[in-house]
Amino acid sequence: MGIIDNNLSLRDRNRMLVGIWEDEDKLVEATSELVHAGVKIQDVYTPYPVHGLDRIMGVRRSWLSIVAFMCGATGFSLAFWMIYYMYVQDWPLDVGNKPVRFSPSWVPVLFEATVLCTAFGMGFFFFLRNRMIWGIKPELLDDRQTDDRMVIAVETGEGVDEKKVLQIMKDHGAVELRERIGGVQTTI
Amino acid sequence: MGHGHHKIEIKQEQFAVPAKAKRFAIGLTIIGLILAGIGIATMDKGGSHGHGHETAATKHEHAATAAAGGEIAVNEHAADAHANATEHHGNVENENFGPRAEFHKQNKPWTTRIWSNILIVGYLLFMVSLAALFFVAVQYIANAGWSAAIKRVPEAISTFFPVGFALAFIAILVAKSDLYHWVHYEHQHLTKGQPGFDAILDGKSWFLNSKMFLIFPVVLVVIWWMLGRKLRSLSVAEDAAQPGDVSFFKKSIRYSAGFAVIYGFTIAVVAWLWMMSIDAHWFSTIFGVYNFATSWVTALTIICLFVLYLRSQGYLKIVSDEHIHDLGKFMFAFSIFWTYIWLSQYLLIWYAHIPEEMSYYQIRYEDYKFNFLLNIVLNFLCPFLILMMRNAKRNPVVLTIVGCILIFGHFHDVWLMVVPGVFGPGQQIGLLEIGTLLTFGGIFIYWVMIALTKRGLIAVNHPYIEESAHHDVGV
Repeated sequence: MGIIDNNLSLRDRNRMLVGIWEDEDKLVEATSELVHAGVKIQDVYTPYPVHGLDRIMGVRRSWLSIVAFMCGATGFSLAFWMIYYMYVQDWPLDVGNKPVRFSPSWVPVLFEATVLCTAFGMGFFFFLRNRMIWGIKPELLDDRQTDDRMVIAVETGEGVDEKKVLQIMKDHGAVELRERIGGVQTTI
Repeated sequence: MGHGHHKIEIKQEQFAVPAKAKRFAIGLTIIGLILAGIGIATMDKGGSHGHGHETAATKHEHAATAAAGGEIAVNEHAADAHANATEHHGNVENENFGPRAEFHKQNKPWTTRIWSNILIVGYLLFMVSLAALFFVAVQYIANAGWSAAIKRVPEAISTFFPVGFALAFIAILVAKSDLYHWVHYEHQHLTKGQPGFDAILDGKSWFLNSKMFLIFPVVLVVIWWMLGRKLRSLSVAEDAAQPGDVSFFKKSIRYSAGFAVIYGFTIAVVAWLWMMSIDAHWFSTIFGVYNFATSWVTALTIICLFVLYLRSQGYLKIVSDEHIHDLGKFMFAFSIFWTYIWLSQYLLIWYAHIPEEMSYYQIRYEDYKFNFLLNIVLNFLCPFLILMMRNAKRNPVVLTIVGCILIFGHFHDVWLMVVPGVFGPGQQIGLLEIGTLLTFGGIFIYWVMIALTKRGLIAVNHPYIEESAHHDVGV
């Protein structure tokens, strides 16, 4: 498993069934039905977080909080090393006769550096893992999936009952159904 | 929204205090009384303070010689001034530490320690209950949906604040000239030029005087109590209203905003008058925020513990692990907030190294070093390290353990605000302190449980109750 999640890439997919929704409640129902029917969903794309969708799809907990901890620990260590080198080893200053080693004046610097590295690290790795970073071309199934439409994508293959998938999608409020072959979508 | 395919039924629940819980609360009080009784019986009741001061004085003189060490020690000049002041009353500058040292030296009745404990516990419970009311107000102002399901718990806790206030007030009425050295000084009616005249206390006396000290907090409590009662009555009237009637909700927002503004400005005044004035020569501009942080994190902890208890008894059916997770996050986050404020106060004083500001930390760092450091361990390191993981914040056992640590930790924090300033060096938390905490803790638990039975446990017509029932923080 690389840092960049290749499972999210759509480039090498053979054939996919794509359903478009405009109502999030119906989208959640459709997702739930598909999961119950044993269909493996490639992904659901929504312009904003839809509560409960993660549980229905069985998405596992993200590693982002572990990454955040590691970034924080890195920031703490870097700041510690920086202060120690500058203030203790290289150029100790007598400021009001305060101790140079491990004094309370270190705390704000350590705190700020920890928070800074945590925040930037989390943001960076989040976008990296989700392929939203320079150099990776965005792959949208529908131009409006970042605005007001929601998309469910199912990859076809052996053991996938296409008729059933399309029927479930149609029954649960899909406003449009498409098939996608080699990156080209046609309405069914 | 997310669980749109299944509906959660929202039903009213009526809490009845289980016999076991009653026994627990009464048992805590009885054990507390026994411990306090043993504490009092074994206490040294004869003029120990004169002796205590001698060690204090020698310690401070010793500190003066060791000051060059660069640790948190008294500035040499100030220490000399202090040493001089105990012997003869010189110029105004030398008076900085003089009266307080005299105050420690004087023989106080042995009951002072009991009253100081009632002040500590009363003040803590008062601040915590009032912070619970602030919690209710904040939820309204922020238009928060998640907390609608648990809002009867902070409402019930908030009914206790007049009791906590009364406890602290009684302790102050009875023992104020032994607890507060400026009251002792005020009674001497000294004028400029007389020996023992204290320019600093004299300058503060327009604000820091017995009338202000007693009347102003009472006025504030009446205002808070009226606003709190209004908020609670709106909340209970909403239960009987037509579903979909948001007029109570809108009114509550207005009263909450009014309460929050008044509370925000006035809670600091009580902290100045009752806590900061124990070290009357000393002042800290962040002290009100610091006291608020202490009471706020403790209030969140107590709300969390009550919600956990009610759930374990099968109540609060619409409250899920998601709500518990959020309460756990609050305990975690505001422990860090407390540390931030605590350090902000300490760091500036440590850096500036000005004698008149350091007097507060000097005695706490030199003579109460164990407690000073224990404060950080209990109130920062424990919650920070234990509650960092997501699973810990969703685990009732872990939350209960950390909650108990936090409650004791913040009791200990208030203890450290009071005791060194009243008694000087050489005190420690003993059976009397633990006993007082348990006694009034038991009464507090009993009171809140009775308050919970007074109305339905669920705010069934709250506009956000549906949203709260479906609260979800994600995988």
